[in-house]
Amino acid sequence: MGAINFGQTVGILENAMSGAATTNAAVANNVANASTPQFQRTDVSFKDALARTEAPSADPNEFLLATDDPRQIGVDGPAGTEAFSITSTVDESEQMRVDGSNVDIDQEMAKLSLNSSYAQTMAQLATNSFTRIKDAIQEHA
Amino acid sequence: MGLYSSIEVSASGLSAERLAMDVIANNLANVNTTRTPEGGPFKRQLVVFAQKQDAAAQTDSLNGSTPSNAGVQAVGIVNDTSPDKLVYDPSHPDADPQGYVHMPNIEVVKEMVDMMAASRAYEANVTAISESRTIGTATLGILRA
Repeated sequence: MGAINFGQTVGILENAMSGAATTNAAVANNVANASTPQFQRTDVSFKDALARTEAPSADPNEFLLATDDPRQIGVDGPAGTEAFSITSTVDESEQMRVDGSNVDIDQEMAKLSLNSSYAQTMAQLATNSFTRIKDAIQEHA
Repeated sequence: MGLYSSIEVSASGLSAERLAMDVIANNLANVNTTRTPEGGPFKRQLVVFAQKQDAAAQTDSLNGSTPSNAGVQAVGIVNDTSPDKLVYDPSHPDADPQGYVHMPNIEVVKEMVDMMAASRAYEANVTAISESRTIGTATLGILRA
């Protein structure tokens, strides 16, 4: 492979941002149902899956193609990489409210704020990646 | 999953909390109402919230196992079945032969607390919309790079 290898960074950022978007939707749903009796909050986890996809490569120039279906032909990349997945789970932990719901509105608002900052950071990193690519293409003197 | 689907989720929360506020306002307005079309004093009303199930969200999600997160909906307004308050006031036109008036089963303090809860929940949804918009704006900002 040639020297241009920006696909991996942008791919990771893309995964991170789609994870943040899913988290945002789940937290928004928890907030909307803050007054719903018997409601079970939804949790989204993607950071473990994200860490697995960005396992360090022995050779940074090595070309890799992850597969998520046994019929797909993969190109052997660094070991340990796997397809990215976002998992939503319904939190069935014990109820903390008399109405049977396990939503803590303060926790949800904190998560919302944290996730928003995370998404903004990832968007900024993606912006920077593209700016660098553009600078390289434009042959700045 | 659309870019702004989480805003729709929060919007459902806004509608539900607004309805709750309307019902509470109606309860407060009728705190002394002794005559209703059904007969008898006004009954305190309560909104019932339920999680909204959206079949489209299930197939549209990134992986098939995602539960449908379509927000909240008010599934009904029910009457509070607690007994009427009895007030001794023989001069009242709706007093019974013993001089007691059946007043609505509304506690003003309770309504005020419910109103504050609904108001804060509404604010939480507004904040959620604002954060969703921030994420959307940041994502669109990549195009400006």
